[in-house]
Amino acid sequence: MIGPVLHLHDAQPQAKLSQLPFHHWHSPAGHPWAEFYRVGDGYLLRFPQLADFEISADGKEVDARPAPGVQDSTVEHLFLNQATPLALSKQGKLVLHASAVEIEGTAVAFIGRSGRGKSTLAASFATHGIRFLTDDGLHLERVDGKIVCLPSHPSIRVWEDSKQALVPDTSMRAPPVEYTTKTRFLAGPEILFCNEPRPLRRIYSLGSGAAGEVTISRVRPAAALMDLVRNSFLLDIGEQEMLARHFDEISRLAALPIHFELDYPRRYEILSRVREAVVRHVTEDPS
Amino acid sequence: MTFAKTLAIAPDVMARQVGDETVLLHLASGGYFGLDAVGSRFWQLLGERRPFPEIVDVMLAEYDVRREDLERDLGRLIDELLKQSLVGEA
Repeated sequence: MIGPVLHLHDAQPQAKLSQLPFHHWHSPAGHPWAEFYRVGDGYLLRFPQLADFEISADGKEVDARPAPGVQDSTVEHLFLNQATPLALSKQGKLVLHASAVEIEGTAVAFIGRSGRGKSTLAASFATHGIRFLTDDGLHLERVDGKIVCLPSHPSIRVWEDSKQALVPDTSMRAPPVEYTTKTRFLAGPEILFCNEPRPLRRIYSLGSGAAGEVTISRVRPAAALMDLVRNSFLLDIGEQEMLARHFDEISRLAALPIHFELDYPRRYEILSRVREAVVRHVTEDPS
Repeated sequence: MTFAKTLAIAPDVMARQVGDETVLLHLASGGYFGLDAVGSRFWQLLGERRPFPEIVDVMLAEYDVRREDLERDLGRLIDELLKQSLVGEA
């Protein structure tokens, strides 16, 4: 992912702002997680008690200010996983909540909301001989009429149970961060990473886990479009020109015959069957 | 919903047909709305600025449906489109 330039500043208390945020995110538990403000002609992305990120109007520069006592590793983590995809969206780039792996020289993406298992699936592939391109924040570009998936940061974040089940103890890991118990593993000989762009071949939408076995089914184009809507990073949905451009782009993407739903019981012992089913599905159908 | 009035697609709505369905984007709110195949056809005819009775006649000729069922279903759809500010009275 070709991200914005980061300018890391000294820690400072988060000053109270006079205006209300125009948008905010909550954690799955309902706690405030991120607040979005318009400041001057740019944006302020605030993670309460953690850090402020000022994103320039063109999305190319980010000034980061940690809250007092917050480690640089936490700021770096927030920058890579939250501020960067949002800044890229301001550059007009299409960035999805999706992981992706490389199969037969092409990119195979797994889209889905938080908790659906995107990173776990990518980690499962990456620790079994198939390189990953990103564990979230899938950046797509149109090159010569084809959609290409760009590699992201060479690290993968997993919860403790996934770590125990999938990742060798000897794998390199990034320093822990304050706001999550997820561990970030760095790519290496045990977690394989693809650092080159790859043409997009499939997007699998991860189902709820209700399936009793590994199932793959085609997704209607309109359903695929709504999936892309729900899983896009967008810094400012109030900016109509950008919203319209984004809608056009994802409509074209939704019309391609590459969208499927992948569902499976969320048990680690079944992941080998999931990998086999995906590889078979990708390689046996050339469409 | 008054069938006597002519409806118009709101100016700040984008529509994209994908397969035989349509997804609408209301730019002002950032909200999305999906139309099935029949709703998509209605939307298309609405875009041609046809009055409601004419739209009903066209769709009766194209679909195997009773007039009262079609009018009831379209009435519900129009109510929803009006509620979401995706259409207005012309």
